[in-house]
Amino acid sequence: MSTQEHQYLFRQIIEQHRNILFKVARTYCKVREEQEDIVQEMMLQIWQSIDKYNPQYKITTWIYRIALNVAISHYRKTGYKKSVTVELPVFYNETSEDISDHSGDEVNILLKFIEQLKEIDKAIMLLYLEEKSYQEIAEIIGISESNVGTKINRIKNLLKSQFNSLKQ
Amino acid sequence: MENTEIIQLWRSYQLKMDTALSQQKQLSVDVQSLKVRNMLSTMKPVKIFTLIVGIVWVLGGAFLLSQIYQHTFEQISKFFFFSALLQIGLTAMAIVIYLLQLYWIQQVDISEPVIKTQEKIARLVSSTLLVTKVLFLQLPLWATFYLSTETILSGDMLYIVINAVVVLSFTAVAVWLFVNIRFDNRHKKWFGWIFNGKEWTPLMKSMEMLEQIHEYK
Repeated sequence: MSTQEHQYLFRQIIEQHRNILFKVARTYCKVREEQEDIVQEMMLQIWQSIDKYNPQYKITTWIYRIALNVAISHYRKTGYKKSVTVELPVFYNETSEDISDHSGDEVNILLKFIEQLKEIDKAIMLLYLEEKSYQEIAEIIGISESNVGTKINRIKNLLKSQFNSLKQ
Repeated sequence: MENTEIIQLWRSYQLKMDTALSQQKQLSVDVQSLKVRNMLSTMKPVKIFTLIVGIVWVLGGAFLLSQIYQHTFEQISKFFFFSALLQIGLTAMAIVIYLLQLYWIQQVDISEPVIKTQEKIARLVSSTLLVTKVLFLQLPLWATFYLSTETILSGDMLYIVINAVVVLSFTAVAVWLFVNIRFDNRHKKWFGWIFNGKEWTPLMKSMEMLEQIHEYK
């Protein structure tokens, strides 16, 4: 692949799928500056891995793999920082004006729940919420489809019980 | 709450965030600046400096010891010579492991499935334990290099007893740490004392990650 083709492909990927990168970064990190760092790192890894892309998989599968691997690795580097900034205010409030108070509360519950999940469970939950098929989740995470189903059910049940306990 | 409602909540939140993002700024992609940033963040100057100092120390020490061995071996203290030799050997071993880690890091493919890549990375970071174990083995050598055969043979019991206690206790601690610093003991209190601090966070997190990965197998 020539440098021009490489650059063209890279720009196309970023333009079409940048939302995936930001979504993953937001899920794993609450500090805006760090989110930007993570996205930059994701873009760099995409740039470096373009030649290794296997067309056997969907492009989104490949992007999610890179984005999640970068985000999880970043968490490992900054775990200490995270542990001292855990009491950050819920960031949903910044843009919640168009949604009723009631649904804002529910979003906050959902976000807090996701925040508390372990890294790989968090990745599975994110992919589930993005309505990825079990097959694609299995390909991104690297586990069997049946294992994906089991994990999703367990996480969903936990989430539902949290919603129910808060409603009571 | 139903599954569809949960997914709807997520969608509405993501839509809000994406809209806010696109209003904030235009995404610019400058690959050259990305490369520079990445180089700076991964190759921390302190690490490079430590590695260079370590290599110079080992090469310099090896050269010096080879000269001593060839020219003045009969006159110098054998305690000093063999303590220095072992110390340099252990440092060289730690450097080799560190360089191997750097090589292995280059082999990690970030576009592979999450579990596979994370396990590789976590095992790599956890191999830092091996470096620490090897470096702890140097402990008794700092208590033997200044000993001399003449003083021991002179029969000064106080000197012999004090040094024997120091050397034996250092050896016991070093061997105990070498055997016990391992993944299985990560929850023990003493382990937390040794690996407490910001610089050890990646190591501790890697161990947590290996534990998580284990649950998926």
